[in-house]
Amino acid sequence: MRISNYADLEEIRLKAASKILPDKPYIAVGMGTCGIGRGAEVLYDSFQRIINERKLDIILKKTGCFGFCAEEPLVNIYIPGKPLVILHRVAEVDVIPVVSAIQKGLMPFRNVLCRIEDWDFITGKFEFGKGLTEHPLWNEIPFFKWQKKIVLRNCGLIVPDDIEEYIGVGGYFPLYSVLTGKSPQEVIDEVKLSKLRGRGGAGFPTGQKWELMAKVKADQKYVVCNADEGDPGAFMNRNEIESDPFMLLEGMTIGAYAMSASKGVVYIRAEYPLAVRRLKGAIEQAKSLGLLGENILGSGFNFDIDIVEGAGAFVCGEETALIKSIEGKAGRPVPRPPYPAVKGLFDYPTNINNVETWCNIPVVMSKGASWFTETGTERSAGTKVFSLVGKVKNTGLVELPLGSTLETIVFRIGEGSGSQKRVKAVQTGGPSGGCIPVDYMKTPVDYESLNALGAIMGSGGMVVMDQDNCMVDVARYFTEFSNSESCGKCTPCREGLAQTLEIIKKFTSGKAQEEDIKTLEELGQVIKATALCGLGQTAPNPVLTTLRYFRDEYDHHMIEKKCEPGICQDLFTALCENSCPMHMNIPRYLQLLKENKLEDAFESSLRDNPLPSTIGRICHFHCQMKCRREGIDAPVSQGEIHRYISDTVYAKESYKKIYDRLISEKMPPTHKKIAIVGGGPAGLTAAFYLVRLGHDVTIYDSEAEAGGILRWGIPKYRLPLDILQREIDFIKELGVKFVMNTCVGKDISLEQLEHDNHVVILAVGAHKDTELQISGCNLNGVISGMDFLKEIAHEKKPEIGRHVVIVGAGNVAIDAARTALRLGSEVTVVYRRLKADMPANKDEIKEAENEGVNFLFLCNPEEILADANDKVRGVRLMKMACGEVDLSNRRKPVPTGEFFTLDCDNVIMAIGEEVDAEFAKEYGINLKSNGSILVDHFTHETNHPKFYAIGDAITGPATAAEAMGIAKKAAEVIDLKLMDKNRFHKLFREFEYSNEVPLKPEGGNRHYSVKLPLEERVGNFKEISLGYTPAQAYAEAARCLRCDVRTTVKREEE
Amino acid sequence: MDTNAEILVDKRTIDEIISRNAGKPGMLLTSMEEIQEANEYKFLDPQSMEYLSYRTKVPLSQIYSVATFYSFFNLKPQGKHTIIVCRGTACHTKGSKVLLEDLNILPGCKDAFDNGETSFTTEDRQITVKTVACFGQCALAPVVAVDGMIYSNVTSEMILKLLQNLREDKKDENIKLC
Repeated sequence: MRISNYADLEEIRLKAASKILPDKPYIAVGMGTCGIGRGAEVLYDSFQRIINERKLDIILKKTGCFGFCAEEPLVNIYIPGKPLVILHRVAEVDVIPVVSAIQKGLMPFRNVLCRIEDWDFITGKFEFGKGLTEHPLWNEIPFFKWQKKIVLRNCGLIVPDDIEEYIGVGGYFPLYSVLTGKSPQEVIDEVKLSKLRGRGGAGFPTGQKWELMAKVKADQKYVVCNADEGDPGAFMNRNEIESDPFMLLEGMTIGAYAMSASKGVVYIRAEYPLAVRRLKGAIEQAKSLGLLGENILGSGFNFDIDIVEGAGAFVCGEETALIKSIEGKAGRPVPRPPYPAVKGLFDYPTNINNVETWCNIPVVMSKGASWFTETGTERSAGTKVFSLVGKVKNTGLVELPLGSTLETIVFRIGEGSGSQKRVKAVQTGGPSGGCIPVDYMKTPVDYESLNALGAIMGSGGMVVMDQDNCMVDVARYFTEFSNSESCGKCTPCREGLAQTLEIIKKFTSGKAQEEDIKTLEELGQVIKATALCGLGQTAPNPVLTTLRYFRDEYDHHMIEKKCEPGICQDLFTALCENSCPMHMNIPRYLQLLKENKLEDAFESSLRDNPLPSTIGRICHFHCQMKCRREGIDAPVSQGEIHRYISDTVYAKESYKKIYDRLISEKMPPTHKKIAIVGGGPAGLTAAFYLVRLGHDVTIYDSEAEAGGILRWGIPKYRLPLDILQREIDFIKELGVKFVMNTCVGKDISLEQLEHDNHVVILAVGAHKDTELQISGCNLNGVISGMDFLKEIAHEKKPEIGRHVVIVGAGNVAIDAARTALRLGSEVTVVYRRLKADMPANKDEIKEAENEGVNFLFLCNPEEILADANDKVRGVRLMKMACGEVDLSNRRKPVPTGEFFTLDCDNVIMAIGEEVDAEFAKEYGINLKSNGSILVDHFTHETNHPKFYAIGDAITGPATAAEAMGIAKKAAEVIDLKLMDKNRFHKLFREFEYSNEVPLKPEGGNRHYSVKLPLEERVGNFKEISLGYTPAQAYAEAARCLRCDVRTTVKREEE
Repeated sequence: MDTNAEILVDKRTIDEIISRNAGKPGMLLTSMEEIQEANEYKFLDPQSMEYLSYRTKVPLSQIYSVATFYSFFNLKPQGKHTIIVCRGTACHTKGSKVLLEDLNILPGCKDAFDNGETSFTTEDRQITVKTVACFGQCALAPVVAVDGMIYSNVTSEMILKLLQNLREDKKDENIKLC
C-alpha cells in the first residue's frame, strides 16, 4: 500500500501505536552487533522456544541498541500499564525466570538496569506507565544521567526493520510536512537557522553546504551519505543505522528535496554487514510504501537510494576519495576546488554528509530550528553521539549536548577506569585527533575547544587510556595506521608519515636522540601544512599532542631507554623486571633457583638490590602487579622467593663467598669524596653502588643506627632487626663510612660538607608528619604516627590507653595500628574514603584485620575532644558518602552532615608525611611547593652545583623499593658525571642458566608462606611471615613463564 | 600474474553479477566484491579480473588499481578458515597486539606481519590470519572474528583455544569460551 496522503500516513501511525504500546506483554531483545556479540541471538532463540512451548501470549521483538554496550545483552520488558523495564547482562539462565514472571503479570526482579515511565521520541511521545519505583529511572543512572537523546531517540526502543514502528513514533511526518508545506529554500533556511554542523568531524555548517549545492543548476544531482566510519574506536554511525535506519533515509530524502537531487548513495563500510542488511531492508520497505522512489508521498518528488559497500580503505572517508571509490577507481583524494557541490560524483553536483548529520534533519524539521538551538552552545548547536571505549568502566555510546566536558563523559558517565588504575588520557577524534591528559578534562567538547588543545572532536570516538598505556606507543600506533592508510599520492603524507614512523620506532627501540624530538615536531608541522587532504593534514596530531602533553614519556624512552608502562618490548626484559623500581632481573634469579644454583641466585639479586632479605619482606611487590602468570591463575610470588634465596644463603653462610667477591671487585679508588645525608634505603643503596665504583663514601645520619625508615619506622614483626643489620653491615664491609648521631644542618653544616666533598647527596626521606589541622590536634594524647613508631624502634614504650584511634590509611597508619595492638590497646582506624582506596600495602591491611584492628570507612575526623584535664577523650567524626568519581579515579567523599563520637584515649595521626628540607632551603637549594627537593628528573642535580637528591626527599613519601630504584639510577648518573665514562654496567655480570621456556604452566597455583598463628602474635613483635619452605620456593619458582626469553629466528641463506 | 587454470569463478556467475549491478553507482567496486565472494578461496584470480575487464570495458589496469588499493581484496588464495584480529584503537588500548602476537605460534606468521603484510595464510591453506582496522565493536574490546563470528573481550587464553579449534578443523562447531 503506497502512502499518498496524510490520512494514509496517520492510519499507519495509529495502527503502529498499538505496536509500540500493545495490549499484551512483549520482550524486546537488543540485537545490535554488540548485543549479538554477547549472545543476543542465542537469547532470542531461547525466548522464542519457551514462548512457543508454553504457548504464551507474549510478543517477542528484536530491537536495536540502547547504547550501554558494557551491559549487553539488554532486554526490554513491556507489560501494559507498567513502566518499560530494561534488563541488563541477561544470560541463558535468566530466560525462564523472566518469562515466568511475565506470565504472572509481574516485572522480573533480576538484572534490572532501569525503568522508563515515558519516552520522548522527539517526533512523538509515549507513556508506558508509572510505578515500580524500586528501580531507578533510566536517567537516574550515571551512564544516562547527563545524556540527551536526540539522534538516538529511537535506538533500542523500536524495531529497526519495521517501518510501521518508525511511523508509529512520528517518523516520516517531518518529510510529509516538508514535501507538502515547504519550499526547498525554506528547508535550507530552517537548517541554516538550526546551526547544525557536519557531524563527521569537520563541522561545516550544514545549511550553508546545502545552499551551495542548491544554487547549482544541473539535470541530475546526488546526495551521498558517508557511512564509512573508518575511525577505529568509533561506531556511532553503525548503531545509528542498525537501530534506526529509517531516520537516515528520511533525512536524506528531505535533503534531496531541498537540494533538488534525484539520486542518493549510502557509502557504507563492508565491516558493518548487519547495518548493510538493515539498510537494504529499510530501503525496500520505504519504497513499497511510497516513501522512497517515484512520486514520494504523492508529491511528485522522485528520489532513490543505492547502497555501495566500501572495501577497507580509511581514506575513502574523505569526500573526494569517497566519490572516486563509488566511481570504481582507487580512492585517492583530489584537491578542492572544484567542490563536490559543483562537480562531484560522475561529475554531477554532489552533497556529502555524515550519517549523524542526516539523522538530525527529521528532528530539525519536526521541532524547528529554535528548539534545536536550545541544546548545545552558541556556536555548536545540538547533541553529539560519542563512543566511549577503552579503559573505562561504562563503555558504550553516549549522546550529550555539545559543550559537555570531557570530565562529564569520562568520569561521570564512564565512572572512571573501573579498576584501581588511574586514567591517564583520553584520545579523541580517531587518528586525526589527539591525546588529552587528565589535567585538561574540564575542557568542553565541541568543534572549537578541543582544537585549542591540539586535538579534534572528530567523529566522536573517545578512547580512554590508563597508566598502563604507553603514549609513545599510542603515537606509533596512530602513525602506523595513517601511514598504511595513506593513498600514497602526495609526498608530505606518503613520505612524511613513513619517516615519522621510523623516528618513533627509534624511541620504542631505545635508539632516539634529542634531535629526533625536534625532527618529529618539524615533520608534523610540515605535513599538516602541505598535505593534499584531511588524512595527511591531521595525521600528525597524535604525535604532536603526545609530544606536547607527554614529553616526559618520550624523554624516558630516549634518555633512560625505559618504557614504564611496559609496552615497548625492546626496552625491558620482562614485565616484572620493568615494573620493579630497581629493575631486578627477576626471571634470572627464579631460573637460577630452579636449577638449584642458590649462590648464583643470591648474587644475582644482591647485585641488583643491596637489601634482598629486607625488601623481600616489606616491598609493595610492583612485580606481582604485572606478572603474566596472573592470566592463568595467580601472579608468581617473586618477592617471597628472593627473600627465601637470601635467607637461605645467610643461614648456610655461603653468602660470604659472594660478599668477598663483591669486595674484591671494587674498582680502584677514584679519590672522589661523596657525602650522603641520610642512611635510609635510598642512602644505603646509593652508597652500595658508589663505593663499589671506587669512590670514597660517607653516610651521615641523625640517628644512632642506620636504616632510616627500615629501622625507625617499619615494625619488627615485619622486618626483624638482625636481618636488616646484616645487610647494612655488608655495606660497611664494602668500605662505606658511617657518621652517626650527626644531624646535617645542626651538628655539621652543608657548607662543611660542600667544602669537604666532590658530591653531596641529600637522602633525607620524608619524615615530617603532615598535620591535620582540626580542633584538638595539640591535646595531650595526640601522637604523631612516625614518632610513635620511632619510639618503639628505640625500645621505649609509649604511653597509650585502652582505645586508640588512628587517622590515616597508608603504611604508617597500618604499622602504627598493628603496633598499638601489640601494646595491648583496642585499635580503630578511621579513613574518609573506602577500603579499596587505601594506599597501604594490601597484605598489611588484611593482616591488620585478621589481628583485630577495627576499620571505619567513610568517616572524617572533625574535632578531637578533651576531658577536664585537657587530655584526649574522644574524636568527633562526620559520616561521609561516596560522591562522583573525580579525576584521580576515586569517588570523592561527600559530607553527609551526620556526626558521631568515638570514645578513645589516644589519637595517632598518620595522614601523610612531608619532606623537611628547610635546612637545604636555607642553603639556597630550591624546593618544590610541597616541600620536597627539586631536582632534574634524569641527572638528580639540584640547582646547587655538587648537590644531588634522591629517594622520598624528591618524590615525597613513596615506597622503600622506589627510593632504592631512584638511588640506583642516581648512582649511575653521578658516577658518569664524575668520571666521564660509562662504568656502571661493570658492577653487574652474566650468569649461566637455561633459557628453556616451560611448554605448559608448571608449579600449580600460587603458594603462600606460613604465617605465625594469631595467638602467638599477641603482645610481641615476633616476625609474622615465616617465609617459604624449600619445596614451596622451588615450586613457586617453576611457575615463572619466562617472559624474558625472546626467540631469534635465523633466516636460511638464500 | 600467476595463471593457475584450476581456480576460476564461473563466467556465467560473473555475467550475472555484472548485469545485476549494471547502471548503479559503485558498480565496479560492488562487482569485484561479489566476484571475490563467489570464489571458493575468496580471492580475485587473474582470469576473473581479465574477464571482468573484457565484459565491462573497464581497463584491466584500473581493475588492478582498485584490487590493490583496497585492503578487502585478496590477490592470493585465502585459507579455509579466517581469523581476524581487530587492531582498532579501543582494541589496541585493551591489548589486541598481544593477541596478534599469540598467533605467532603459526610458523611464518610473525615474519609476514613484521614485513608489513596485512594477512598471512598457512602453507596448507587451512588458516588465514588477518587484521582489520576496526569492527565497530569497540565497547567489547578486544575483538576477534573467526569465520565471520565475532568474539568479544578476548583473552590470550581464548584466542589460543579458538586457534586450536581451527587447526583441528573446527572440531567444536559451537565452541564455548568462558
